[in-house]
Amino acid sequence: MALAYTDYYEVLGVPRDADQDAIRRAYRKLARTYHPDLNSDSDAEDRFKELGEAYEVLSDPEKRERYDRLGADWRRTEQEAPDTDFEDFVSRQGFGTSDFEFSDDLFERLFGGRAGAGGRGWGEQARGPLRGFDREALLELSLEDALEGGRRRLTLDGRDIDVNFPAGVRDGQLIRLAGQGGAGRDGGPSGDLYLRIALKPHPDFRPRGEDDLDVDLLVAPWQAALGATVAVKTPTGTAQIRVPAGSSSGRRLRLRGRGLPGAGGRTGDLHAIVKITVPKDLTDRERELYEQLAEAATAEASA
Amino acid sequence: MSTEERIELTVVARRAGVRIALVRRYLEFGLFEAEAEAGAEETPRYDPQSAARVAQAERLRRDLGLNYAGAVLVCELLDRIKELEGRR
Repeated sequence: MALAYTDYYEVLGVPRDADQDAIRRAYRKLARTYHPDLNSDSDAEDRFKELGEAYEVLSDPEKRERYDRLGADWRRTEQEAPDTDFEDFVSRQGFGTSDFEFSDDLFERLFGGRAGAGGRGWGEQARGPLRGFDREALLELSLEDALEGGRRRLTLDGRDIDVNFPAGVRDGQLIRLAGQGGAGRDGGPSGDLYLRIALKPHPDFRPRGEDDLDVDLLVAPWQAALGATVAVKTPTGTAQIRVPAGSSSGRRLRLRGRGLPGAGGRTGDLHAIVKITVPKDLTDRERELYEQLAEAATAEASA
Repeated sequence: MSTEERIELTVVARRAGVRIALVRRYLEFGLFEAEAEAGAEETPRYDPQSAARVAQAERLRRDLGLNYAGAVLVCELLDRIKELEGRR
């Protein structure tokens, strides 16, 4: 078993001459900090496993002594040449030592698994199969992708996962990937992975409530005044919309069913918001007409 | 939250990877509840989320030296934190 050398004292943040009480206190505090059910940081699981391993060794005077003496080699030596204390232990448990073959599996049963060790005296049922924890990750999608559905490759903890997401996923929706969460313990099933959909901000469409969208509708002053049919961008293409005569900026024109797919099969609406846009540069002819318009309007106002 | 069908207690235990006695224990502590609609002769059914919940309580109990009531309490507090964070 090739394991990288880890300084267990450093992991627990205790000096090399720390007594058992100090080690237990340090472990308990850090276990609460890094427990994957309590800490959502991506490295919490690894930190927690490392803590369990450090505590398993340093809380056991025999293992600790061997670790202090042999450093990185402590575990291998223990397996290749069990010392007398170990044999005594085995005898007390009612095993014969003559034809006794040592296996990793039995080692784990006698001394406990390395992952997430609960520590001694913390309840007799601290072992046994148990499902791994559920993980949650963010899946950022553009509005177009969310409407179309598709496929994404995610890398989580160095593992590639292909995800198919259906058309019409909504912001905040959870997609469950069974068995892709944390590994189970002692043969227990793996947890699930939940992908939380997050819609990226769109340059044109702004979410409005649950499944409606707002979009700006740029119209020229004369279109707003006289009424016109203009093109409006929708999430799936364009549509024609009728701007009634006398529409001012801010007027909301609704296109039913052109928003986002909502819960229960209902589709939201698209709100086109009138925004009167004045051309920056006028031709001579246009300037002339605007001046006439200004005169006529002033005459009307003062009449 | 889930659209999956309600499941029986044995399925909760299998999915949580634990013995059914342990699941019953958490049921007694109110970690999760049976669906109210089950008639007198039907087998009670449970939310499929119950399996993950039992596993979470059990991990917390084993890893942090909690008792059953403590583990259930932590699960409930975690739910509340999640709810408050979602409300922001």
